[in-house]
Amino acid sequence: MITSGDENVVVANNVWKIFGDRAKEALEAIRKDNLSKAEVLEQYGAVVGVKDVSISVNKGEVFCIMGLSGSGKSTLVRHINRLIEPTHGEILINGVNVGNLNAEDLRVMRADKIGMVFQNMALLPHRTVSDNIAFSLELRNVDAFTRAQAAEKVIETVSLQGYGDRYPSQLSGGMQQRVGLARALAADPDILLMDEPFSALDPLIRRGLQDEFLALSKVMKKTTLFITHDLDEAIRMGSRIAIMKDGEIVQIGTPEDIVTKPADKYVADFVAGISKLKLIFAHTIMQPIAKYEKENGKLKDIDACPKADTEDDLDTLVGHAVGQDNPVVIMSDGKPVGIVTKDALLRGVQGEA
Amino acid sequence: METEKDLLKPFKEFAGPNGEYYGNTFLKIQKDTLGKFHINIAAAIGSFIWAALRGNWLLFWIAFLIDLVALINLSLMAKYSQAAIDNAEKDFLVVRYEGWSADHLLGAILVFILGRLLVGWLADRFYYNQYNKWRVNRSVNSGSKSSRLVLVAVIAALIAPLMLYRSSQFAPEARTCIKQDRAIEKGETVPFKDRFDCAIIGEFPTLVWLDRPDEITYPRDENGNRYVERKPAREGLPPLDLNKYAAQAIDDGIGYLTAFYGFFFDGITAFLRTMLNMITAVFVGTPWIIAMGAILAISYVLAGTRITIFVGASLAYLALFGFWQTAMDTLSLVAASSIICVVFGLPLGVWVGKSTRGQSIVTPILDIMQTIPSFVYLLPAVAFFSIGKPPGILATVIFAMPPMVRLTALGLRHVPENTKEAALAFGANPRQLLTKVELPLALPSIMAGVNQVVMMSLSMVVVAALIGAGGMGFIVTEALANTRTGAGVLAGIGIALLAMMVDRVVQKANPTAEK
Repeated sequence: MITSGDENVVVANNVWKIFGDRAKEALEAIRKDNLSKAEVLEQYGAVVGVKDVSISVNKGEVFCIMGLSGSGKSTLVRHINRLIEPTHGEILINGVNVGNLNAEDLRVMRADKIGMVFQNMALLPHRTVSDNIAFSLELRNVDAFTRAQAAEKVIETVSLQGYGDRYPSQLSGGMQQRVGLARALAADPDILLMDEPFSALDPLIRRGLQDEFLALSKVMKKTTLFITHDLDEAIRMGSRIAIMKDGEIVQIGTPEDIVTKPADKYVADFVAGISKLKLIFAHTIMQPIAKYEKENGKLKDIDACPKADTEDDLDTLVGHAVGQDNPVVIMSDGKPVGIVTKDALLRGVQGEA
Repeated sequence: METEKDLLKPFKEFAGPNGEYYGNTFLKIQKDTLGKFHINIAAAIGSFIWAALRGNWLLFWIAFLIDLVALINLSLMAKYSQAAIDNAEKDFLVVRYEGWSADHLLGAILVFILGRLLVGWLADRFYYNQYNKWRVNRSVNSGSKSSRLVLVAVIAALIAPLMLYRSSQFAPEARTCIKQDRAIEKGETVPFKDRFDCAIIGEFPTLVWLDRPDEITYPRDENGNRYVERKPAREGLPPLDLNKYAAQAIDDGIGYLTAFYGFFFDGITAFLRTMLNMITAVFVGTPWIIAMGAILAISYVLAGTRITIFVGASLAYLALFGFWQTAMDTLSLVAASSIICVVFGLPLGVWVGKSTRGQSIVTPILDIMQTIPSFVYLLPAVAFFSIGKPPGILATVIFAMPPMVRLTALGLRHVPENTKEAALAFGANPRQLLTKVELPLALPSIMAGVNQVVMMSLSMVVVAALIGAGGMGFIVTEALANTRTGAGVLAGIGIALLAMMVDRVVQKANPTAEK
């Protein structure tokens, strides 16, 4: 059991969500008899959405939840602002149990603390971009002047200058999603929930928005839960990734963990097609100098070898290694600590550390 | 040749006897080479017997009914030619009965010949359909089985004799049967045939006779307060049937309500009259030149040049044919009813759209309101509110409100779930969700509801002229009563122009309609 505090902004403890009239019975049965999803559906007419999920998201990190459709990732994220009530388990936000809030406190928390971005934007077509953006402030009865100022500020943040007085239908999909992002940022919330925000966009625009969001995220340091069905996106965006399947979390880890040490065959299959160049670092594939020298004889001329840092990725190492025959020497604190041969480099590209 | 045989194999398996013929016919149907006038001779001759043998019950019923109708016509012919002989002394009856007799003979021949041709034409086509169903489900009837004829015999025995008996007899009148009932009560003996005729071939027999209820009146005492006075029904009057008894009970109930709760209905009447007077003051009280200018200006601003030209022409028609005041009268009624419809219909629609219970309570009521013929509304309106404009408005409101409720509810239900979810995620409370998200997004549907309300009000206001609501409808009802066709047609055109005018302007005024 984790309690959230300064470091853990969002914590979910053993969250279960079962849809159906007999959810509680079904939960008991699953815990006792370990029923499968299909059996629960057949015996209780209930659908398991989220199955015993515990996560803890650190302050300022981008935490990706990756899974295919129907894996329960969107359901899980809706528990955090209690759009969906859990069948069992608790959600803590800054140490406060969301399940214990009364209706008004919950609305205050949703408006002030949590911003949400939706896959289908869900903008209000009858309101201008500015009015859409300031919607959460309006719901808290903030006056029109302050709203306009706040909207102006975030419009700049998401580079939509000059579009404030247009209607959403006059904007392209990518720009509409900027409005969605701006709306989530308008109340300056601590937490961003992003439910497949870029999935509906075409690849080029998606890439651009990803980069912009990464840049923004570095500056704003908002704790972000980022839902995606695209592992590439998860790896680009996430400081950590949770992989979900059938409502359960299969693996949580950094992108490098996921790629180099997949927890099971499901994750391994996913990872198979992923480029490792930016995900595997020197410290993972290097061998100690002593071991290298035992096998290959003494390093003749350490000064002639290209040098790299332990935290450099494969891409950088390949850049050093091409055009000459010496192995790459990995340095730490000014001292050589390991060797990466070309064989190791090639194996690394294949994903075998 | 071998392949040809193979092609026919499934057909033959299905058809059983005479498989070669059906196989070739089905093959023609599949190749689309079956003649347009292809007729199965066996089916045309065998008719319902053929259909029963082949187990095609749809065709069986068609064929059976055709033959039955032909037979009934024959029996009617016999009945009327006998009647012509029986009434030989009355010339006009002889002419009438002989004419009917000839008609029925012709009918019998036509139905029989054309019917048989139809059955023959349908037979193979229906049978091919049955074959296709049989391919999917082998329990569908196939082959030819004489056991099916047993069922035919049972059906024919149950239906045909009574049908033919009915057509060969003159049905007793309702009065004769009532007399017969009395006679039986007194213990007189009535021949079985008469009793059978009354029970089976006339009107559905009256099963219940109820004693007359007390006569109820609501006179005033010396202080002017009403009280209920019951007098037993006069001796010697016959008992009542269910219809008359229930009608009397309803009348008594309405009488009771108006006698003791009259202030309630008077209050509503007064409210409606005040409201109507205010509106009429605007429409009728304004000099025609200003009113016309205002209407043209409004339609120009809301709906543009083209519609304004149409509105101008319509107004000119109304004015030139002397309908101006009456038309304005009608418009006041329409405005009053539409306002009431919107004021009550919108909240009701929100309730129906947002709550399942609201939906299950209100929807059946709306269904009833829309199914009842509009004339029927006039009766309770008159019963409770007497005649004049206020009951006319009430009847109109009942008639015109359902679309407002329905379309508001529909609009609310069609607001995308994810838009509502987004509003909730940003902290909207239920009231904000309704006013800032749901109602604005439902606006096109709501405006369509308003348009419907206005149009239906206009049509009902015309009908309401029957209970003294006045306006254009009055001219039409009066023309109808006095068969003054010309006046009625002119007023009818006026009403149509008024309706089109209002419809075009309201539709164009709807800000969301253009998109």
